[in-house]
Amino acid sequence: MPVRRLGWAQQRQRSFILGLAPALLVLALITIAPAIYLVLTSLTPLNLTLPGTAWDFSAPAANYLDLIEDPRFTRSVWVQVKLSVATVILQLLVGLGVALLLNGSTPIREMARSGFLIPMVLPPIVVGILWRVMYAVDISPFHRFMAFIGLPVPSLITDPNWALTAIVIAETWEWFPFTMLMALAALQMIPSSPLEAARIDGANDWQIFRFVMLPYIQSTLVVAAIFRLIDSIKAFPLIFVLTDGGPGDVTEVTNYYAYRQAFTFSLWGYGSAIATLMVAGVFVLSYLIDRLTGAAYAEAD
Amino acid sequence: MAQPHVRVTRRQLVRAGAGAFFIPFTLRAGKAPAQGGKKPFEGVTLNISCWSATYPKLIADYLPEFQDKTGIKVNYDTPGFPVYNQRADLELSTKGSGFDVLNVTFIYTSRWIGAGWLTPLDPFINDPNKTPAEWDFADFVTGSVQPMRDKTGGVYGIPWISDVLMAAAARFDLLAANGFGMPDTLDELEKAMQVVHKKEGVAGFITENHWGWIYPAYLQAFGGNVFRNPPEDLMPTLDSPEAAAAAETLARLLNSYGPEAAAGYTYDQVTEALRAGRINYSTHNHAFCALLGEEGSKVTKTSNFGMIPKGPKGRFPGVASHGWGIPVGAKNKDASWEFIKWSLSKDLVRRMTQKHGLGSVTRKSLIDSPEYKQRMIINSVDTGKLFLDAIALSEQGYMKYRTVHVYPQANAQITQALGRIISGQMKAKESLALAQANTIADLKRAGVRF
Repeated sequence: MPVRRLGWAQQRQRSFILGLAPALLVLALITIAPAIYLVLTSLTPLNLTLPGTAWDFSAPAANYLDLIEDPRFTRSVWVQVKLSVATVILQLLVGLGVALLLNGSTPIREMARSGFLIPMVLPPIVVGILWRVMYAVDISPFHRFMAFIGLPVPSLITDPNWALTAIVIAETWEWFPFTMLMALAALQMIPSSPLEAARIDGANDWQIFRFVMLPYIQSTLVVAAIFRLIDSIKAFPLIFVLTDGGPGDVTEVTNYYAYRQAFTFSLWGYGSAIATLMVAGVFVLSYLIDRLTGAAYAEAD
Repeated sequence: MAQPHVRVTRRQLVRAGAGAFFIPFTLRAGKAPAQGGKKPFEGVTLNISCWSATYPKLIADYLPEFQDKTGIKVNYDTPGFPVYNQRADLELSTKGSGFDVLNVTFIYTSRWIGAGWLTPLDPFINDPNKTPAEWDFADFVTGSVQPMRDKTGGVYGIPWISDVLMAAAARFDLLAANGFGMPDTLDELEKAMQVVHKKEGVAGFITENHWGWIYPAYLQAFGGNVFRNPPEDLMPTLDSPEAAAAAETLARLLNSYGPEAAAGYTYDQVTEALRAGRINYSTHNHAFCALLGEEGSKVTKTSNFGMIPKGPKGRFPGVASHGWGIPVGAKNKDASWEFIKWSLSKDLVRRMTQKHGLGSVTRKSLIDSPEYKQRMIINSVDTGKLFLDAIALSEQGYMKYRTVHVYPQANAQITQALGRIISGQMKAKESLALAQANTIADLKRAGVRF
């Protein structure tokens, strides 16, 4: 029987596949398999104290139907939206502002750049403890200073009107260096000729920023915003350390609610359903942002 | 008889050489087994975890004694209460071997024992080769062991603490100067707080923000309960008028007479605030109140203690036991049992009470000893008697709500409901009605049928 020889292109194709196979296998093992398991678990009423529930697929939609009627889930989504929108906007503004201040190459600016990166590289739990101290009325330098100048501030983390804001402030402090770093990198890529041309034409600083710099860096800012948006949905350590989801449930974001269902009540099926919806939400959100910004760029071009 | 031919391979020679090289080091490290220096569990490592409290923290100081005695190396940690519980719950549910000894948390006793996640301890207790008679299991307070038993009476945990909720006035001198004694009722407490709050810059009232532990004592004092008739009838009763009245009282005490951010105080913050004399009065655990008489306390000479105040329907001090247990997946259970035996031996616990003022112990012989009784007297008040009186009260059975397998769900809802009420987000009635609905939903999800 004649052996069919593969052409050069086919051999190359096969080599690519073989070369990629180990990486794809690892990817499948560490990301896709757990994701599939998560979705499968969300279709069961898995309760750790009842091992028989692990493979009970008799009512696969039960958790999802339950979620639709669960007001705490809906509320947690709303808390998540508020937290994400506030932190992303603040991180972009603060990060961009600091990047504009540090855009240049003097020794002091270079040193300051490294200093500003510190919050981002601290372990989240350390950031949580740091802000816990900052918000402790008895010992916080902030509270003591405000009391000293005659403007005492109540405890932010136990006040329902301020607790979420307290989380937003801490989260912004921790992550604005990321947007700063990305904005700074983009600013330094701007060629000098359009800036010089604008100055020669008599543009002031605001006009240079608005009509020259911003168009150059806006795609970078969008990418930074998407990263931060996705990451903001993972906000957990700060809430865990600072408020435990309270007072009441004003800082109980969706992943905290999922954590409570799974880790405190052992309801892993229900917790997995919440997690699955979160994953789906992040995908949809990223897709929409990508489409919207893509359309905006196309229009601008 | 022909001798078998012995072939020595090069690999065997290398191994023998390496062995010979290490012999001198082995001899230097300790006595040879023939000389009686071999320790019974040499080379065994145990992973042990317990939530952070006085006794588990003291154990860490004494661990070298255990390691010297048995040869067992111990990896030991004491995270905060909620962190510990979540970690232990998850670890036990996997039936894994990550931990060799874990604390059996009171509110999880029914769940962990019922699910078969803990090792039965009777085979260890009843085996004279593993447990000498003088260790004396019968010496443990019966009421403390009871939550550690399953329905057939089998033991799954050895209690290291039976803690009770009591009242402490760190600056009783301020109450006395204004004509008050230790408040016997909640009404008396409020009247006293109205007068002494902020006297000499000292806030009047505080209690830890573990509302699932503190609030039920107030709830029951008003005639309410968490469930209708636990453990048989688990219908929550958080929306009762009594529940709202109790929550309003607790919120008023904290908001009117508490320090700034009173709703955020954890148990260790409460203890330190009392010891420093920054806050006057608290309904707090006996184990922590005992520290008001210990080194570093600024209020030893001004403290007074009492039972928690009565409400319209009586006095219901919370009582909780925690004990050491062995996860069912632990690999070296004999070594685990050695640790439990040592850590709860009469000698070690006695030394802890004498040297560090450890209170709320679980051995009857110690509680009855003159030395312990003397140690538990703080500023002429016998806190040991208050402890025993609270234990005696609990024999009515009012703590049954706490050991049902779904209490963690109710606990979380109570914590959120009280958080909303104390922070002023919702009125008590509204918040508790929400907690009631949420608890029912959580319990149904956990398989409870009403």
